[in-house]
Amino acid sequence: MKKALIATLLLSLAATQAFAADVIKIAITGPFTGGSAPMGASMRDGAKLAIAEINGAGGVKVGARMLKFEVLERDDEAKNERGALIGQELASMNDLSGVIGSVNTGVVLAGDKHLQEKGITKIITPAAGSASMTQWSKAGVKDLSIFRFAAHDGIQAAMVVEEAVNRKLFKVALLHDSTNYGASGRDDLLNQIKKQGNKLQVVATEKFNIGDKDMTAQLLRAKNSGAQAILIWGIGPELAAIANGMAKIGFKAPMIGGWTLSMSNFIDNAGKNGNGTMMPQTFIEEPITPKAKAFIQGYHKAYKVSRIPSPVSAAQGYDAVYIFAAAVKQAQSTDTHKIKAALENLKDPVQGVIATWQKPFSAWDPANEDSHEAFRRDQVVMGMVKDGHVVFANNADRQRLIKSATAVKGKNVK
Amino acid sequence: MSQSVVAQMVVSGALMGLVYALIAYGFQLTYATSKSINFGQGELVMVSAFICLSLTDLGLPYWVMVPLGLICGALLGLFVERAGVRLALEQKSEGWILLTIIIGLLFFSASENIWGRDDRPFPTPISSDPIQLFGISVTPVELSVAAGVFLIMGLIELFKRKTLLGKAFEAVAADRDAAQLMGISATGTVMLSYALSGTVAAFAGILVAPITTVGPTMASALVLKAFSVAVVAGLDSGFGVVLVGLFLGALESLTSYYVGSGWREAPGLLLLILALAVRPTGVFGKAVIRKV
Repeated sequence: MKKALIATLLLSLAATQAFAADVIKIAITGPFTGGSAPMGASMRDGAKLAIAEINGAGGVKVGARMLKFEVLERDDEAKNERGALIGQELASMNDLSGVIGSVNTGVVLAGDKHLQEKGITKIITPAAGSASMTQWSKAGVKDLSIFRFAAHDGIQAAMVVEEAVNRKLFKVALLHDSTNYGASGRDDLLNQIKKQGNKLQVVATEKFNIGDKDMTAQLLRAKNSGAQAILIWGIGPELAAIANGMAKIGFKAPMIGGWTLSMSNFIDNAGKNGNGTMMPQTFIEEPITPKAKAFIQGYHKAYKVSRIPSPVSAAQGYDAVYIFAAAVKQAQSTDTHKIKAALENLKDPVQGVIATWQKPFSAWDPANEDSHEAFRRDQVVMGMVKDGHVVFANNADRQRLIKSATAVKGKNVK
Repeated sequence: MSQSVVAQMVVSGALMGLVYALIAYGFQLTYATSKSINFGQGELVMVSAFICLSLTDLGLPYWVMVPLGLICGALLGLFVERAGVRLALEQKSEGWILLTIIIGLLFFSASENIWGRDDRPFPTPISSDPIQLFGISVTPVELSVAAGVFLIMGLIELFKRKTLLGKAFEAVAADRDAAQLMGISATGTVMLSYALSGTVAAFAGILVAPITTVGPTMASALVLKAFSVAVVAGLDSGFGVVLVGLFLGALESLTSYYVGSGWREAPGLLLLILALAVRPTGVFGKAVIRKV
């Protein structure tokens, strides 16, 4: 009796393993419809481009076999409750190797706890809100299966302050929307100003609501207080209203803020008034390296567009898949727990379109969220809106990226 | 603070206030004839703006698109009347409250599915480059909003006072039963008022879309303010909404400049509470004498 039981147990174990090992099953989640869709769909399409390349080359070698990726797509519509449902659904799958995605921090907060409970590996990209990772350090979680592949708001705020200092714009006005995102952005900015030696003087702090169209009052206060730059945290439509309002009252000062300033609904609605606006970017749609050129051309061809709706999201989706594939290869398994362990200690560098990733993650340390954050200051550049496109704000960044790409190439040849 | 700042804030705010007034006027038109209002008025503004945007995308010039957009607005108004209001009124029930809200939600989700949830720019031949008038920056687009509001309200008021159909409108507004006894079709007049209200909504959409951009939520903030304006002014006050709209807009603007941008909404709400507590029929409203 006992023997039979063990035998069946073993058999079923072998069976599930054989089944799980046929493909690498991953889920891509994000808002593919609605206001955040430019980011969600670009991330998905970038990720699928990488998957098509990997599958086209035969797949990932695990043991003696080449395994191909199989993708599940889930549209969370940027709604928290959808995020929670999708999190539950994915957590109930036994053969899922991992999850890539999420644009909205609220969705991350609603959904990821279900994945973490089951220890399912997830790479968050491109959601940038600090809370996505600090929720785990605050809870003191010892073992975390959630990773992030995006320039989090902390880095972004640091860069915004740095840019204002570098451009000698010492008197600044802080503008932010009244949502959680805007308020935490303001706090990040204030922290960074203190951290970087209080070189900036905040002459006005103003807020605005989602849906506000007339920003004259806030902008006049900023203008009359002598602000030389506007540091801003908000989303597309209101940012556009601010840019247009500044043109109206003849207030000429650069706007510097979070990466939402690269959203197409800001760029399109602000038109020429958006020119000169600066924001941190992890990828700029300029074919400056062979790898970037191949990626941009591949994306344009595969999805029949002449402009990637959100280049940052697309490039991050693309690189996240390559990093995930490297972890599968190192783990020699499609088991999500083993992949997590491999991600925390990736031995080989991964050539991505944003950078060449050397050990992007390390073992989770609740005292330091950076252990599960891939991006450091070095991988992020300042972008600037110019006639409907985002270009490099500083030529030095452009040169640096070209140089680092050729340096890596040289190493590979050797 | 300097005078020019005050003037700038008052003018900027008052221009937005005129938009509130125009939407509030749409509430008034239907309230006058049927004592009902369309709680989905904001969605009518939004759907009309989207239709106009699609007409422009088809390649129609602006000045052809405007009348077509207004006709669509009128048709949408008629639809609301037939689907949401008529039966409820016939049965003397308050069902129109729920029905107009539901029709509004229906329009909202339909437009999300048809046009998407993105905010899109609305093309206009009128320049949005600022010009200086007596030291105040305004854009021609904003001036066109002001001109448009006075134009359409003036036309409708003229129509009500000078034409036979308009007089029927006034008669039903004054006393529905007596008007019916005189041979005026009350149903027809209510239909007319909803069509006019829809036209006003469409016109408001066309006027503000270059400033607000076009998106499913473009009117949700405006319509709440418009509702305050309509109630504060009185739902049968005619031009009263213009005065209250101008006042509220300027007050909001000044508050957010002098008190702080977080307090922008406060004066409007205080005004609403005050008005309801002191003059429930509105500042410019007529006192209701109910015979029992």
